[in-house]
Amino acid sequence: MTKALNRMLGTLWPRFHRSHDEHMNPYYTFQDYRQIWGMGIFILITTTLLPLIIMTLIYYQLVEKSIDTESLLRTERLASNTRRAVSYFLEERLAALTFTVNEMGYDKLNDSEALAEVLRNLKLGFGGLTDLSVIADTGTQVAYAGPFNLEGKDYSNQNWFIECQRNDAYVSEIFSGYRDVPHIVIAVKALRPDGRSFILRATLETERLIQTLSSFKPGEHADIFLINRDGVLQTPSRHYEGTSHRLSIPVPPRAERTRSLMMADTAGKPIVVGYAYIETQIAPTPFILMVVKQKAGMMKVWLDLRHQVNWIFIGSAVLIAVVITLTSTAMVNMIFDADREKAKTMLMAEQNSQLASIGQLAAGVAHEINNPLALINETAGYIKDLFMIKEQYKEDPELVEHIDSIIEAVDRCGTITRQLLGFARHFDVETQPIDLKHMVADVLNFHKKEAEYRNITLHVDIPETIPLIETDRGKLQQIILNLVNNAFQAIDNGCFLDIRADMAAPDQVRIAIHDSGCGISEEHLKKVFEPFFTTKKEGQGTGLGLSITYGLVQKLHGDITVQSKTGEGTTFVVTLPVRIKKESQI
Amino acid sequence: MKVLLVDDEQKFALMLAKRLELRGVEVDVFFSAEKALEAAKQGLRWDVAILDVKMPGVGGIELKRRLGALDPGMKFVFLTGHGSNTDYTEGMQEGADYLPKPLKIDALIEILNRMTKE
Repeated sequence: MTKALNRMLGTLWPRFHRSHDEHMNPYYTFQDYRQIWGMGIFILITTTLLPLIIMTLIYYQLVEKSIDTESLLRTERLASNTRRAVSYFLEERLAALTFTVNEMGYDKLNDSEALAEVLRNLKLGFGGLTDLSVIADTGTQVAYAGPFNLEGKDYSNQNWFIECQRNDAYVSEIFSGYRDVPHIVIAVKALRPDGRSFILRATLETERLIQTLSSFKPGEHADIFLINRDGVLQTPSRHYEGTSHRLSIPVPPRAERTRSLMMADTAGKPIVVGYAYIETQIAPTPFILMVVKQKAGMMKVWLDLRHQVNWIFIGSAVLIAVVITLTSTAMVNMIFDADREKAKTMLMAEQNSQLASIGQLAAGVAHEINNPLALINETAGYIKDLFMIKEQYKEDPELVEHIDSIIEAVDRCGTITRQLLGFARHFDVETQPIDLKHMVADVLNFHKKEAEYRNITLHVDIPETIPLIETDRGKLQQIILNLVNNAFQAIDNGCFLDIRADMAAPDQVRIAIHDSGCGISEEHLKKVFEPFFTTKKEGQGTGLGLSITYGLVQKLHGDITVQSKTGEGTTFVVTLPVRIKKESQI
Repeated sequence: MKVLLVDDEQKFALMLAKRLELRGVEVDVFFSAEKALEAAKQGLRWDVAILDVKMPGVGGIELKRRLGALDPGMKFVFLTGHGSNTDYTEGMQEGADYLPKPLKIDALIEILNRMTKE
């Protein structure tokens, strides 16, 4: 179980997070794999998810907008249909009264018996009628059919009577009246043959109207009701009744046609309101039809869908992130492995090259020692000869002289051996103050003989003002040796080699090694520091010398550049800090 | 037997000359090829020339060529402190004997004797 978990973490968690051999650090092409990995994942996830997020948000907005438009339209349509039904309800009854007054005339209607007959017929035709009454133009009720006989009552001061006289017809608000039963009064005005007017008035029960309204009610979240123009509820509202039967939301502005708009209810929730000011063809009415829907209810289907879409989105985002992380980890791991292999090879190559240069050194030393040894050999041989051939060797000053020359030759060998030892000792990493002038002289000492043979002029210009450099002796020595070796290989007999030093900055020493050799072509110049790049014949050069030199300079926190012109010579410039920072890795 | 010895290592050359003289060989010593050539041009002749391969200026191989041109009968022995293959094969190709430094005096005497007998 833990094994499987570890393996899974291994594929997710990059290998380069674990500490690795620090001495290999300078050989890595990339130092911060953690950053490469993080940036890779960040960029990939951003570029993948950002468009997805933007698309989703745009989609949400479009859907919401179209839902808004759709719900406004649907609410308006519902309001329009309901308005037509309500208008028709009132118009139908007004038309029946108009027909009755015109058909029967004042004289017949004035007869209570006949009026009762009419009431009966109307009840049969429409139902919902409570009573009928005839009122003369003086305001006095002259005939009545219905449960309450109010004959002789004077309506002349009442609002409805005045309005009916003015408009020829009248529709009242819904009120409870004496009997505490909600009803509407409608009335029409007609002319008598003698030119005077009279009014036929009917009282309607509101039950039918309320039924008509509720037949349009489409669902849980919708509310259909009537209000008057002051916002007083005329039919019951489930959600929007405020104090003293008033509407809890603002009364919508007057409009000729059915309209719909968005607003917020008292709790601040968004609602869609469809409304219509109800007019009949015969008389104006005080009613405003209200269709109120809660937006949340209409949005429910969409919200459910969006919930699902959100889950799908989160699922795909997680999947994308996991796949990207896995891919990035795998790829960066691959790069890291390749880089580590390269670093290992470079490290090994540097070690090999160190061995090779020690071998080279040993050969040079052997050669150097050979001449003094030959002299010792001959001198000792001569002394032996003297012993063997001549008899009179005692008190001979020549003998002493020859012994001296043996001692001198041995001393020469000793010097060379000391140099060899001093050279070979410093391959471990440590900083110490180094006199550049001495070091260059030491290195050139090994090439002196060759320079003499080949008639190469060596010129060293290292001013006394160059301070001691705090750096790694072995590495600096190898850098200079490699560059001098290189120069010796590049130049023909009779050319010159020039080594100079100066201060590039107060804390940086610049060493320039210039030769008047064959130079390096421009295309090769770009590659000289690349490992395994060589222009020498196969088997003669490894192509590692300059790349190792480059690595060594980097290790010493320095910088190496090369300038060259074919046929004119080459200059390598090494810039080194006077003091390597102690806390950093060498 | 008259022998020419050319080597830029002066003390070595002098010491070797003394030892050869002790063995009855007549030796002319020069410390550079140029000096030896000058002497040869002035008419000095030797049976055998013992030459150091590596010398500043004109080296042993080149000196052999020039001396050979002046005196085709001259024999050559090369000395080298540089035990490298190139010197050895170069010496062999030129049809001369080769002796590494430090050298064994008996071997040299033997070669000289052989050469003068031929």
